[in-house]
Amino acid sequence: MTADLVRRTVVLCRDLRSRGMTVTTAHAIDAIRALRCVRMESRERVYLALRCVLVARPEEMEIFDDAFAVAFSPPPPGAVENSVRVQRRSAPRDPAAVPSLSSWAKQEEEGGDGEDAEAVPAASDMPAVVQKDFSTFGADELADIQRIASRIARRLAARPSRRWASDRRGRRIDLRRTMRRALAEPLDLCFRRRKPRKTRIVAICDVSGSMDLYSRFLLQFLYALQGTVARVESFVFSTVLRRVTDVLRQPDYARMLRGLSAEVHDWSGGTRIGESLSTFNRDWGRIVDRRTVVVILSDGWDTGDPSLLGAEMEMLQRRSRRVVWLNPLLGSADYQPLTQGMQAALPHVSVFAPAHNLAALRALERHLLS
Amino acid sequence: MADPAIATSLHLALELHKPLLIEGHAGVGKTEIAKVLARLLGTDLIRLQCYEGLDASTALYEWNYARQLLHIRLQESDGHAPADSEAKIFSEPFLLKRPLLQAIAHEGRPPVLLVDEIDRSDEEFEAFLLEVLSDFQVTVPELGTIRARERPHVILTSNRSRELSDALRRRCLYLFIDHPPFEKELTIVRRKVPGATEDLAAQIVALVQRLRRAKLAKVPGVSETLDWAEALVVLHAAHLTPELVGETLGCLVKDEADLRKVRADIEAGRLPLGAA
Repeated sequence: MTADLVRRTVVLCRDLRSRGMTVTTAHAIDAIRALRCVRMESRERVYLALRCVLVARPEEMEIFDDAFAVAFSPPPPGAVENSVRVQRRSAPRDPAAVPSLSSWAKQEEEGGDGEDAEAVPAASDMPAVVQKDFSTFGADELADIQRIASRIARRLAARPSRRWASDRRGRRIDLRRTMRRALAEPLDLCFRRRKPRKTRIVAICDVSGSMDLYSRFLLQFLYALQGTVARVESFVFSTVLRRVTDVLRQPDYARMLRGLSAEVHDWSGGTRIGESLSTFNRDWGRIVDRRTVVVILSDGWDTGDPSLLGAEMEMLQRRSRRVVWLNPLLGSADYQPLTQGMQAALPHVSVFAPAHNLAALRALERHLLS
Repeated sequence: MADPAIATSLHLALELHKPLLIEGHAGVGKTEIAKVLARLLGTDLIRLQCYEGLDASTALYEWNYARQLLHIRLQESDGHAPADSEAKIFSEPFLLKRPLLQAIAHEGRPPVLLVDEIDRSDEEFEAFLLEVLSDFQVTVPELGTIRARERPHVILTSNRSRELSDALRRRCLYLFIDHPPFEKELTIVRRKVPGATEDLAAQIVALVQRLRRAKLAKVPGVSETLDWAEALVVLHAAHLTPELVGETLGCLVKDEADLRKVRADIEAGRLPLGAA
């Protein structure tokens, strides 16, 4: 193999890494091993071999194509039939352009070490706090309220699944254990019961204008459920839809929030609910099944076509177990869901609820996990 | 179907001894690739169908409890001490090998292990599978460690009903299969349904390709195209007519709302039936 080819491959790997793909040294070594297996004079073979090793999901195809074209200029021969074209991630805008969330992240870094969580009183002990609308808290209180929300989320109970765990009493006999014991003392039956099953939740949150704050609370709340009682996939939208599950997974709290503000470049702006849901149904509809609870948070102020919103909502409703629409405005007594968007969406909504304070978030439990 | 992307991926999977993860829409022939590979290599295909709740004992091994119980009873009536029987009932004849262990303990040429629809299993199982795939050895406490003589060729498929872990993706080579373009699908129909006339095959594929661009809840895959072509051949169709399409549409479109929509489109002439 020529030194040039090795060099180009290493440059490609480094470039892919800088574009956010996971390319480890092991990948680079595999890539070079792979090249040894194909006819290297065929540009297409080289392209296919490297793609096979370095790409891990369809969303990365376009990034790979770009980077390959740069590292192996001149550009690769026309499209390879089976590659998928997915919208390329647009470059994140200057974080300063999203002041609200960045400042929130900063606060979190400075304010909380996370260890004093125990000092926060249980939600039930603070009725005033629990009933207060999120938007009326001062900036200094938000971190504390967030911690309470997370604790409520963690307390939520789990459901049984098809996996089994040994149990002294359960209803099904655990044959494996019974046989083990039968050698010593016959017929001491061991039982097993179903392990708790994780619900799947898909959250689609409006982050335009005034919904921003509520969406952050909901995402954080759901994030606390992640991995314990539920599997959560999170999306945000205002004019375009974006999946933020991976952003929310960042282990470090403050970094996660920073990541979110960098990722969601249109964190405040107009709303196109219908089009965003249409994008969701097209690109992500496959992750919704009859056990999935879809949670949409929005005030229903849609600047798009209401009939599109209605059609997309119908599709969501048919595919999922339940569609929960959270509208923080429902928290105020005189709110009527009269906007065209809300009117189009409501016939396809199983649960219409507010999400404006801690009590409302806690009440979500029965809609999400039952 | 020697698609260069598929051929390269399989070639690399064999050369680099790495599992190949295949993703794509339902019905594009992901499972078929594993079958073809096994046939080409002249080896066995061992298939593990995943579902939610699939656990190690179903995928790896389990003791044959019924047989163990029977054995203990017989021993008792013969007056043997239970201590003697322990070693006996936890020996290989009492072990039920599930697909993963079958693949590891396989004699002769390394088999093709197909882990089908891995996205349906849960994260815990995915982690367990990673462990098995990294060293191809299994420890049965009562028996000891069983190690694969030669690594099986592993193919995983996913319909993307959930996102797989990065750890799993990192371990695997990756192949995404999209719906085939017109020419290629036509070749597939010709080869798999030789009874279809040229005209019919072209019309079928043209219509299916158009339907894929329409916004349907369940997009028809190649397997649906083939089912439909076969149904039409059984009905001795030489061309598509609106009536014929109406009667057989259920082979292709499998969602009630989609059916209504497609029927309306055909009646209104928005879906021309002529060949492209």
